[in-house]
Amino acid sequence: MKRIALIGNPNCGKSTLFNRLTGLSQKTSNLPGTTVESTSGELKLKSGKIELIDLPGIYSLFAQSEDERLVVSTLLGIDVPRPDAIVFIIDGSNIRRNLLLVSQVAELGIPSSCILTMADTAKRRSIDIDIKALESELGISVTVVNPRSDKNIQSAYLSLENQTVGNIISQNDNFEHRLRSFYEGNKERGLSEETLKRYTDIEKIVKKVVIGSQTRKRNNTIKIDKYVTHPVFGVVIFFLVMMALFQGVFALASGPMDLIETAFNWVKIQIDEFLPNGMWADFVRDGILGGISGVIVFVPQIFILFFLIGILEDSGYMVRASFITDRIMRKIGLNGRSIIPLVGGFACAIPSIMATRTIKNKSERLITMLVVPLMSCSARLPVYFLLISLAIPASTFWGPFHAQTFVMTSAYFAGIFVALVFALIYKFIGNDKEKSEFILELPTYQNPRIQTVISQAWIKCKTFLSEAGKVIVVISMILWALSSFGPEEAMKTAHLKAVELSQINKKDSAQIHNTQKLEASYAGHLGKFIEPAIKPLGYDWKTGIALISSFAAREVFVGTMSTLFQTPEDDDQVKGIRTKMQAEINPTTGKPLYGVPYAISLIFFYAFALQCVSTMAVIKKETGSWKWPVALFFIYGGIAYISAYTAFRILSHYF
Amino acid sequence: MNITATHIEINKIYEISSLKENDLTLKLAEMGCVPGTEIVKLYSAPGGDPIAFRIDSYILGLRKSEAENIFVKESELV
Ligand SMILES: Nc1nc2c(ncn2[C@@H]2O[C@H](COP(=O)(O)OP(=O)(O)OP(=O)(O)O)[C@@H](O)[C@H]2O)c(=O)[nH]1
Ligand SMILES: [Mg+2]
Repeated sequence: MKRIALIGNPNCGKSTLFNRLTGLSQKTSNLPGTTVESTSGELKLKSGKIELIDLPGIYSLFAQSEDERLVVSTLLGIDVPRPDAIVFIIDGSNIRRNLLLVSQVAELGIPSSCILTMADTAKRRSIDIDIKALESELGISVTVVNPRSDKNIQSAYLSLENQTVGNIISQNDNFEHRLRSFYEGNKERGLSEETLKRYTDIEKIVKKVVIGSQTRKRNNTIKIDKYVTHPVFGVVIFFLVMMALFQGVFALASGPMDLIETAFNWVKIQIDEFLPNGMWADFVRDGILGGISGVIVFVPQIFILFFLIGILEDSGYMVRASFITDRIMRKIGLNGRSIIPLVGGFACAIPSIMATRTIKNKSERLITMLVVPLMSCSARLPVYFLLISLAIPASTFWGPFHAQTFVMTSAYFAGIFVALVFALIYKFIGNDKEKSEFILELPTYQNPRIQTVISQAWIKCKTFLSEAGKVIVVISMILWALSSFGPEEAMKTAHLKAVELSQINKKDSAQIHNTQKLEASYAGHLGKFIEPAIKPLGYDWKTGIALISSFAAREVFVGTMSTLFQTPEDDDQVKGIRTKMQAEINPTTGKPLYGVPYAISLIFFYAFALQCVSTMAVIKKETGSWKWPVALFFIYGGIAYISAYTAFRILSHYF
Repeated sequence: MNITATHIEINKIYEISSLKENDLTLKLAEMGCVPGTEIVKLYSAPGGDPIAFRIDSYILGLRKSEAENIFVKESELV
């Protein structure tokens, strides 16, 4: 199958076009460096099927950051076969700079055609382009397409079928050889002179092709930026935007969350009515359904978080956030560009760790990657929520603060704070000789395309759900097996003891049976085994089991807890897991076992510990070794343990 | 005249005259900061660093230290 690659500057509309043509949904946004991977999609042309490849954007083939190097290795055919043809995507509002790349890539002699995007923006700035003249200068077909609107998409297909080797304005006889050598890390001399020469040639083309141009006209972007980057307003706006982001997540999501919760309770009641009582009903209702509903309830929040971040990215604001935070970020060993993965980390660490590829400086990139998992991602939300609502009634105020909000906010800030401290530590122990760099294009502001942002946020939610769903089903099954069976002797003793106890107490015999059985099961043995290690943190053996199971993924916690707190079979009403947990009393103190110290200690644990197999895998992939994920596992685990311990000790005095 | 882009007046049109030779030259040239190009200092981030310039037809953010590598002269193009 013929393979055609999309090549162009960052943010010129490659992925938008790719999505239009292939029907896939790659992430697009008004932020240079949105795409950091290569993605293929199939599409049918008159001449047959082809494979279209979407790549990161580059300004030049002499690439320095990881995402840019990927494009060069694709074009040179390193690791992957060389594409059979190329489609250049040129931003019509910035022809001069875009042609530099075209003139470099043309030297590779790959058949190509050209699609000119952003013609609407160009028009608004009164930039008029003579397409026929551009075609004859480049020697390849040029088509104007606006990938955002459907109208011209037909001509994009034509462009894919009409590819030729263009005019080569050769600057150098052995360009490809020099490029390869640069890619392998050798110093090549004369590259900047060569670039200047290219620009001189390009200037000649531009003179013939660009007719009117009023680039000097002050546009709205500059007017808006005056406020957004203002020494006072700029900072105020930044904090307001971040606050609005989190406020929005909680305020907008509460309605849909209640709806989902009601719906699940209804389903649970139905299951109770129609499934015969017994092990299987328990398993389905408590393990699977309990676990999944505990996660689905948070889909509205996850969706809104992705949606709002998407709006910030597609409007162009996130690039300004990089711009205004660069000075501070630099001081702690990061880069202005780090803010994008860090904010993204509140949604999910995995794409954010990949997004660090755009940071050229190796040490800044590494530090960003290492601290991203400390941002409280959306998988922690279900855990925080369960624990907060468990221990703190909604009407509680601590001084002037609404207690639930206060704890939630603290959890987020705790992560940010430790990230800052860690960034500083990494900065001082690392010996970084490479120069730090912040050279960032600030794209024109635009109205975010709500529909695209919604569909991209929805895709993220679906991935989250299916991943979480799989883990939850598997873990629930393992857990169910472990908690239903146990060493024969122990189970027998447990049964006898339960019979005896229920005769004495004369009540809730099923409850007693369950507890005794669970304690004697394999899961109980496992929990009891690690209990000494977690007892100082205020956790019992049941929490221990939940803690172990959530090292696969944090959101499993909720499901595990609901499996462990199974509703007794003869219980006529379906109680939520919260009610069940609240009823537990610490036999030694007489206080609720799962009280404020317990909840906050556990929240701290989840805020810091690296309990996500996928995050560890992606760090391994991006750093090339298991060294960092394993180190982080222990370092963040240690911090989690110490802070959870401290929180529990201190809070036990007050509650 | 030997002023660098860091020190130019805001909102006034200048022209790039040359680039300082160092590790950054290539990157800056690739981003379109080549002699003869129009350059305008637009605004800077809180604290004065980085600075945003209009280079030809787009906006580029550069750190002060990076902008130091761009020599400019008052524009002859009116
Ligand atoms: N006005 C206008 N905007 C466009 C056009 N094409 C794409 N865009 C917008 O430009 C922004 C960047 O689009 P992307 O498709 O993400 O660009 P990209 O080339 O894939 O960018 P990178 O992945 O960063 O290299 C998005 O907000 C698009 O909606 C166009 O023809 N006109
Ligand atoms: Mg892209």
